[in-house]
Amino acid sequence: MQNDTLLIRQLQNKDERALSMLYDKYSGAIYSVILKMVKDESKAQDLLQETFITVWDKSHQYNADKGRFYTWIYRIAKNKVLNVLRKTDILIQTEDLSVYKNKEDDTISLDPDFLELKGALSKLETHHKNAIELVYFKGLTHREAHEVMGVPLGTFKSYVRQALLLLRKSYSELISMVILILNVM
Amino acid sequence: MDKKMILENGLLEQYVLGELDLNKRAEIEKVLASDSELKAELYAIEKDFETLGLENAIAPPVQVKSNLMQFVASTSNSNTNDSSKKARYLLGVAASIATLLLIGSFWMYSQLNDVQQQLKTVESKNGELNNTIDQLNNNLNRNNALFATLSHPDTEQYILKGNALMPEGKLISYVNHTTKSVVINAEKLPELDADHDYQMWADVEGEMINMGVISKNEKLLAMNYIDQAESLNITIEAAGGNDHPTVSRLVTNVYLN
Repeated sequence: MQNDTLLIRQLQNKDERALSMLYDKYSGAIYSVILKMVKDESKAQDLLQETFITVWDKSHQYNADKGRFYTWIYRIAKNKVLNVLRKTDILIQTEDLSVYKNKEDDTISLDPDFLELKGALSKLETHHKNAIELVYFKGLTHREAHEVMGVPLGTFKSYVRQALLLLRKSYSELISMVILILNVM
Repeated sequence: MDKKMILENGLLEQYVLGELDLNKRAEIEKVLASDSELKAELYAIEKDFETLGLENAIAPPVQVKSNLMQFVASTSNSNTNDSSKKARYLLGVAASIATLLLIGSFWMYSQLNDVQQQLKTVESKNGELNNTIDQLNNNLNRNNALFATLSHPDTEQYILKGNALMPEGKLISYVNHTTKSVVINAEKLPELDADHDYQMWADVEGEMINMGVISKNEKLLAMNYIDQAESLNITIEAAGGNDHPTVSRLVTNVYLN
């Protein structure tokens, strides 16, 4: 993956080409997150566009010392989606977490492929997979998610931690494999 | 808050996911700033989530990007280009006007100098012309006076022929007793050196009375009229004339009727 430093600096200098390239790189991952949260393609597209408009407008606020560029965009997108969801469904903010289950049931017609998890995550054990899905793709906080899963908060935190370590392991194995194949070739 | 607590409570994950409030974030950032190991762990978690996200990417419709780029282009145009273009345009207009005024001022200044110079020339030429006119007027008056004498019906002409001292020379005189004027034509008097002049005298009862020195520059000139003059005489005198005639140098004379 190429270094973003230069592109980000250009973006901060209002270079439209840099925005275009960063959009090409990250829009797919962000769109996936937004889709899985709002479950509405049209809304998701609007939110994706708004997210990148904010990235453009607020690019000077991004500080590379505090974290990766992708993390920054992810947080912007997540905040936008949560704001919309709070407005349209005030129950999300209440303690009645059954709403998440209800919501799942009356999902608006959406291609099920969009909700399907792929890659290394899909190969994890169910509780690991679910923990990551709730906090990363559904936008729940740890506090909300552990109740949805019906496990203590501490246990839930360790699920997330373990899941990430397993993913990391599989990613580094993947990289080793690629390096091995490249060496053999 | 310390490193151990942060790791045990899964705060880094929550930090990356943006779940923490401002205070918690600030506390974690403080620890991160002084702990490179914790920072490396944060980076790893960010990378995990990022790879996870990219693995699950779903390509958005092309329309979203074209809308975005259009929006960005229109806002940056209207925000920066339009106003700065307008400002640049106005600045350009102002600069042009200033330049024109400057050039205009220089042009007018040089024109003013030219005109002043021309005025001086005209003034001096005007002075010269006035002098010339004065001269011409003087000449005209003098010539008119001479002509009046010459054309007067009572004017008589006397020719003074040169004697042995001036065999080639002669002088014509016009005498008018009515207007009491004398005009002579000195054209035929031989040229004298710079130290001498011809002088004219009237003989009144044996006494020679000065009628004036004959100017070397003029051919026709008026002399003093003397009453009861019996003859007109011309002598050669030292330059500027004499009080009494040098009779030995009498060059011509004529008796009046």
